[in-house]
Amino acid sequence: MGIVAGIFLIVGSLLTMIGGIGVVRFNDLMSRVHAAAKAPTLGLLLVAIGAAIEIGSGKAVVTLLLVVVLQLFTSPVATHVLARASYGQVDIELDGGDDLAQHFAEKRAEAAEEAKAAAAAKLAERRAEPPRNHGDG
Amino acid sequence: MIVVAIVFLVVAAGCFLYRVLRGPSIPDRVVALDGVLSVVVSGIIVAAAEANSDITLSTVLVVSLVGFVGTVALGRFIERRGG
Repeated sequence: MGIVAGIFLIVGSLLTMIGGIGVVRFNDLMSRVHAAAKAPTLGLLLVAIGAAIEIGSGKAVVTLLLVVVLQLFTSPVATHVLARASYGQVDIELDGGDDLAQHFAEKRAEAAEEAKAAAAAKLAERRAEPPRNHGDG
Repeated sequence: MIVVAIVFLVVAAGCFLYRVLRGPSIPDRVVALDGVLSVVVSGIIVAAAEANSDITLSTVLVVSLVGFVGTVALGRFIERRGG
């Protein structure tokens, strides 16, 4: 095991461990997401660099590059989907103002207005129809 | 040298699994499971580096993509059902 590769592997693993400690120690969901998303991604990057240096074959380098690029693309997407889905469903602590609250309130008001308009249109349509004959046919 | 890296990864896996078992809400557990998968991926890469062979590296791709799809699917589930 080369010195440089070993150092990369150890530092990458250390970053993953720091992410794990953050997930245990932080006390609300958004902080935990923050700890769990970023540190292990950088750790994986460093571990992959170390392994690429150690193995050194072309296939290993290409595979590890692919893994790192995919991780860099998918990790923020997955974390964002999860954090946005769980907004408003779990208790979170905020430092400042809640910008998403206003956004969601506007969206909810728009949806309510649309629903109201759709209901009014339906009612008008029903009134425009001729009354049905019951029991004559 | 490799032992130190493996010890760090084991501690990280322990932390994430603690949060999976303990997490007060479903999103906490999902986040921690994502972290566990990240640890698994790092572990496979470290094992490949120790064995100095590239035959196990293809599994890393599969594991990381399964983790992404699983996290997004659970995110949609949480959005619909509530945490």
